[in-house]
Amino acid sequence: MSADFHQDLVLREDLFRRYLERRLSADLRDQFESHYLGCDECYEELRATELLMRGLDDRILVRRRVRDVTILRFVENTELLAYSLELNELASAVRLQSDTKVLIDLSMVSRIDSTGLGVLMNCYCHAVKNAGALKLLHPDAPVKHVLSLTKVDSILQSFDDEAAAIASFHA
Amino acid sequence: LLPEEIERLRPKLRFKVCYEVGFLCPDVDDIVQEAMSRFLVATQQDKVRKPEAAGAFLAGICRNVISEYRRRMRREDPMPDVVPEPPGKSLAESDLFEFRDAIAQAMAQLPERDRSLLRAFYLEEKTKEDIMAQTGLTDQNFRVVLFRAKEKFRRLYLDLTKHPGALRHSEI
Repeated sequence: MSADFHQDLVLREDLFRRYLERRLSADLRDQFESHYLGCDECYEELRATELLMRGLDDRILVRRRVRDVTILRFVENTELLAYSLELNELASAVRLQSDTKVLIDLSMVSRIDSTGLGVLMNCYCHAVKNAGALKLLHPDAPVKHVLSLTKVDSILQSFDDEAAAIASFHA
Repeated sequence: LLPEEIERLRPKLRFKVCYEVGFLCPDVDDIVQEAMSRFLVATQQDKVRKPEAAGAFLAGICRNVISEYRRRMRREDPMPDVVPEPPGKSLAESDLFEFRDAIAQAMAQLPERDRSLLRAFYLEEKTKEDIMAQTGLTDQNFRVVLFRAKEKFRRLYLDLTKHPGALRHSEI
């Protein structure tokens, strides 16, 4: 039995996934539980897969494409403040990708500070350096206020209408 | 079985019990303790013939303890008027929920390409062959991405469970 669970590690990952989603047959589940109770390696790998699946399922940003424009939107209410995870996620989403026409939907962002503005400008520079552009969509009133106060709005264009924002990339 | 080997079974048994009765069940530790006690008695009476099959033996004991627990609960709880829907396909609640920030930090360190490949495999249930056809990756590339991520999360799991609260983000 032990050999079966160790034979192909990709198949074992598939087994872990189905176990964690409670989709194994009762018989296979019993066999697997009997196995991992005696196998430290499989137990650790199972829990590691659980962590990984939670991480994959817990998306901070969703990405979609409309024509050649990538739209990034935060999944839940977010504050783009120093040390927030969302800033790291946004920075890596923009800077590590090859997309150059990027529209960041700020509708879920309620606050932004100087670090957040710095990351937005950094992303903007990255897009421009790669012959692209970065624009903002649906900033709410407090965010608009900060963008205007710091004059960042003179560099980063903001839109309240998605179609107009996408059209502006092709103007 | 050595005492430390028996003790190493406890967290695994706890996970199995939580998996069966739910991580929020207040009786998890009682069930684990009862199963461990019966297992210890069995080992003292030399009923575990093959030490390599101790896991299967313990799993059997645990199934009995959980069945008895459920029967007891059913006797005490009146039958509901409406039978609840079976749970949908998703990860159950878990003792790992409190590690959300550490998980997100580790996730942020994976390249987006790796994350989308892993999402396709773990969440969208695409087969390795489908993913390879769509992405142009070789079997070797696919395994590298998968096991690089797994290694990161295995280390994270060990850090979180062996030194809970002591993990610094820089160590992830």
